[in-house]
Amino acid sequence: MATTALPQRGYLHDDTPHLGEWIRSWLFTVDHKRIAILYLLAINFFFLLGGLAATFVRIELITPQGDLMSSDVYNRMFTLHGVIMIFFFLIPAIPAVLGNFLLPLMLGARDLAFPRLNLLSWYLYMFGGIFALSAAVLGGVDTGWTFYTPFSSTYSNSNVILTITGAFIMGFSSIATGVNFIATTHKMRAPGLTWFRLPLFVWAMYATSLVIVLATPVVGIALLLVAIERLWGVGIFDPALGGDPLLFQHLFWFYSHPAVYIMILPAFGVISELISTFSRKRIFGYEFIAFSSMAIAILGFLVWGHHMFVSSQSVYSSLVFSFITMLIAIPSAIKVFNWTATLYKGSISYRTPMLYALGFIGLFVIGGLTGIFLGVVAIDIHVTDTYFVVAHFHYVMVGGTIMAYLGGIHFWWPKMTGRMYNEIWGGISALIIFVGFNMTFFPQFVLGYLGMPRRYHVYPEEFQILHVLSSAGATVLAVGFIIPIIYLMLSLKTGRIAGDNPWDATGLEWKTTSPPPTHNFEAIPVVTTEAYAYPPEAAARDAAEWRPGSPL
Amino acid sequence: MAKTSTTAGHGAHGDGAHAEHAAHAHISRGTYYKVFAALMVLMALTVGAWWIEGIIALPRLLGVAIAMAIAIAKTTLIILYFMHVKVSERATQLYAGAAFVGFAIMVIITMADYFARGWPPPPGPLP
Repeated sequence: MATTALPQRGYLHDDTPHLGEWIRSWLFTVDHKRIAILYLLAINFFFLLGGLAATFVRIELITPQGDLMSSDVYNRMFTLHGVIMIFFFLIPAIPAVLGNFLLPLMLGARDLAFPRLNLLSWYLYMFGGIFALSAAVLGGVDTGWTFYTPFSSTYSNSNVILTITGAFIMGFSSIATGVNFIATTHKMRAPGLTWFRLPLFVWAMYATSLVIVLATPVVGIALLLVAIERLWGVGIFDPALGGDPLLFQHLFWFYSHPAVYIMILPAFGVISELISTFSRKRIFGYEFIAFSSMAIAILGFLVWGHHMFVSSQSVYSSLVFSFITMLIAIPSAIKVFNWTATLYKGSISYRTPMLYALGFIGLFVIGGLTGIFLGVVAIDIHVTDTYFVVAHFHYVMVGGTIMAYLGGIHFWWPKMTGRMYNEIWGGISALIIFVGFNMTFFPQFVLGYLGMPRRYHVYPEEFQILHVLSSAGATVLAVGFIIPIIYLMLSLKTGRIAGDNPWDATGLEWKTTSPPPTHNFEAIPVVTTEAYAYPPEAAARDAAEWRPGSPL
Repeated sequence: MAKTSTTAGHGAHGDGAHAEHAAHAHISRGTYYKVFAALMVLMALTVGAWWIEGIIALPRLLGVAIAMAIAIAKTTLIILYFMHVKVSERATQLYAGAAFVGFAIMVIITMADYFARGWPPPPGPLP
């Protein structure tokens, strides 16, 4: 039978003679891998910007007096940090970068189901980002990333409309990505790739997409209603106009609590891949991990009211929300126990991605367990709006999502670029980030429990020592984030050629070249085995054969 | 009820060997016109109900129920025919249904909060 051979050039390869053509070839690409790289650059830019805002916040908090900035500027600074980090970094980071790059490769497909929609999602992301950035340049916004009404809809004198327009547009970018992932997973799996042969990263992306598609429209509408009330004085949320501010909180948290799972579910997927690969073992409890992702996605829609325990929400609602919040700990714990069981008797190698994965487990457990504290009404009332909450969600989002993002970037960097990075610096920076992170955020648990409220830049002197410790930790953390930027950039020029499968991992993405060709595979692969088909004796054999300098 | 004609075709999704093939189907032009006419009738009913409500003093609950019933009928027609859910695959229908389940969860739980607010009554001033 005659077949048409597809050109097998690496997706990064470009022989366009002019700079303009080269730029156009990137800005109009519909290749999922190039779009992932576009996202990588944009998202990391926003991460650095959000980090810069956090730096100013931490510098201000070194002293108990408000000596670097006024209260108003401080409000705008932490809002800038929150808006950028939540909407423009944490939510899209893993799906838009790693998901875009890997999903078709893991499924044995040539691209996502809707390549043009994929490119549109990047442009929407950029437009949303431009709106949010212009709001910052024009003076910022002081509502906090939560945009609580009626302050945001009536009283704030900052750039609320521009910022929520940015978040609104960004929401459509998320939805486009989610729709694409769902359609691709359903329709474009390689022959033999049944649902229970899918890598757990794909399961995680699928569960995430479900949440994105079902929840994001609600926050879009909620933000639109804020804009309508602010621009035209239509009474929706402002009691002075006949509205109800709690309605906004219900609508906002209906999205924004599931949004936590949009941030953390993809991270779970990354960690499953890393733990299995660097333990050289079939993952323990595959089905349980897969279904726990779906369970988290579904239960995540039923717990939003735990953000509203002190908002005059009905106490009966609070009790129900508190109870369901306890339930969501079960699928989360299933994952952690299964990862730990996978490590048991594995041939564990402490390569950089694995260091991030192990760091993730420890930090996520702390973040998750303190989440249970906060799900209990009595404790939550004590620590609401204190640094305890700030520490908790940073343990989940930074300790969870960012650790997994960095672990994933390191793990798939050889596939994305065809080059290895400097392993020594990789390990050093992972350890610096772990230490810096704990130094930054653990003191905040103590601060919060002692009564330090969030969003204040003037505080009693007794809290200063803990704030100084936290700011010092933030400096260490910043160093940890800067080092990978340097050695990853250097690796593009000087890194060792990676080969197709440097980690000796399973998975279809490792069956193609590094970097992959534009159409991913020379021929569509046929899958005949489960996702993590390490031979039963692989771990024992690796351990026996290990010598200094062994690849794993 | 308008009759729907469907035409099955081969999946156009890049890789022919994929496990799931899409059976494309379409709704005939005649059906679209009938649905459009039904929507116009429902719009007239909406205006009529508003007009009647101005003349006869209907119980508020009944007025809301009538308006909601008409709105649900319109929405259902649009989703089934104009958005092609009626002739889509099961997975698409499942997602369309899931959106309503999600919406129902949001409305029911939020309304439950409104309903139960003030339970138990706040304790009065001490004697």
